[in-house]
Amino acid sequence: MTNLQEVPTDELLSFHDYPSVHNSESPQKSAQINVNVNNANRQSDNGGGGDMGANTAESAMKSFWTVEYYQQFFDIDTQDVIDRIIASVTPKRDNSLKHHLRHKPDLYGPIWISITLIFTIAISGNVANYLQNANTNIHWKYDFHLVSYAATAIFMYVTLIPFTLWGLLKWSSDVNDLEGLESNVTPGALELICIYGYSLFIYIPVSILWSIQISMLQWGLVLVATFISGSVLLFTLLPALRLSRHKLFLIAGIILCHLILAAGFKMYFFHSPPNIKVHVPIENVIHTTIKSIVVPSNNTTG
Amino acid sequence: MDTTKLEMFDDVESHVEGEMVLPGQTNTQQIGQPDFNTLDEPIRVTIMRDLKAVGIKFAHVLFPKEKKTLLKEWDLWGPLLLCTFMAMILQGSNDASNLGDGGPQFAEVFVIVWIGSMIVTLNSKLLGGNISFFQSVCVLGYCLLPTTIALIICRIILLANQSNMLFFIRFAVSMAGFFWATYASMVFLGDSQKPNRKLLAVYPIGLFYFIISWLVISHTT
Repeated sequence: MTNLQEVPTDELLSFHDYPSVHNSESPQKSAQINVNVNNANRQSDNGGGGDMGANTAESAMKSFWTVEYYQQFFDIDTQDVIDRIIASVTPKRDNSLKHHLRHKPDLYGPIWISITLIFTIAISGNVANYLQNANTNIHWKYDFHLVSYAATAIFMYVTLIPFTLWGLLKWSSDVNDLEGLESNVTPGALELICIYGYSLFIYIPVSILWSIQISMLQWGLVLVATFISGSVLLFTLLPALRLSRHKLFLIAGIILCHLILAAGFKMYFFHSPPNIKVHVPIENVIHTTIKSIVVPSNNTTG
Repeated sequence: MDTTKLEMFDDVESHVEGEMVLPGQTNTQQIGQPDFNTLDEPIRVTIMRDLKAVGIKFAHVLFPKEKKTLLKEWDLWGPLLLCTFMAMILQGSNDASNLGDGGPQFAEVFVIVWIGSMIVTLNSKLLGGNISFFQSVCVLGYCLLPTTIALIICRIILLANQSNMLFFIRFAVSMAGFFWATYASMVFLGDSQKPNRKLLAVYPIGLFYFIISWLVISHTT
């Protein structure tokens, strides 16, 4: 079993060794210095931050169409994912999520959190619908197609919003500002997708709890979930937002989108107007009466 | 007669002639042999042999002990059979009278099974697992067998008059299918990942079978 980590370092080693091969053929003083510089670079890379250097060098070599190119986005261990998930539900001022993400934004978390959320919402939406109709005599049937609605909403949210935010941050940040000299304060699009993906995690347990049919509890959960993951989002993005000219507008936009998402989930998948069971029979009655009126008249004309 | 032929064509191609004279030895030979020939055998033998290979793999899934057969000689016939069967049972009827029963359509089950197993495979590839693409798709497809069995049992239970007790039995059966399928696929695929990433690879597999088990439990008449 070849480890992923070992392959790039091997390649790097052989890459760095090429000059030394030349040196052995033509021993010159200047060439010898070059080798030393290379070695020093490599050691400093390995010493601090290590993997970043290796990853960028590796991604530069891989083609866009190979699996190896995308492996850099999944280069993550179980413990990292657990840490990031925990960080995404514990709002702290020192924004630990940012520290976690700054090194290597991954796509594993966002993708699987989104997919899990889609099916959790679809399943517990069905459970909620069942509970609403539990006491009536309606023959309840599940609705598989909640999956497609949930998938559309969540994938749109987790891709469109980060890209929009990334564009707005690029457009509105004051680069001339003193703080703007720190070039990597503004997060990249990938990092934003990662942050947003992890911020959806809290909706997974919440959507299970939403199937409990108490309206106050449901709305309370909406607010709590929005507050927790929204504040994590804000704390994580705050350094970048501070540079923006329209920071109030952006902050309000982020919170509003998050709130709309949560409220939309609750309204669409878990909410039913209380007198829907009265409506259904009435509709049926109307249909049957219309039929009984229309059919005889057709018969008489035909 | 043989000897004269050989003498006649000796300078041209003695080898081909020699083989064509021998009939009726091929049927009893094994698959791996170099001179194995399926052209002469009846079509029934061919189909039965392939079905037997699929059946042996099914047995390996149900009693996951030996993993060479499923991983070395992968095929997609078993997954195709299982997937088609499940999709046929699970598809919702589209009657106009009751406005459809909300079940998935045939193609949707098909897409969930195939695209789902491909996504799960791609995930383990991206995490750095050393397993080939179709091996993994094959294993994931074959491990649908416990959920298919659960579906058959649930379908039989549905024939009876429904009560809460029967719903609980259906729930237990489909959960058993889910755990069985996840366990079997973990036995086959678990070694392909590094230990500190095993959970990351196993979770999507579990999710995949959980979704299919949800379809099984939700299926009503």
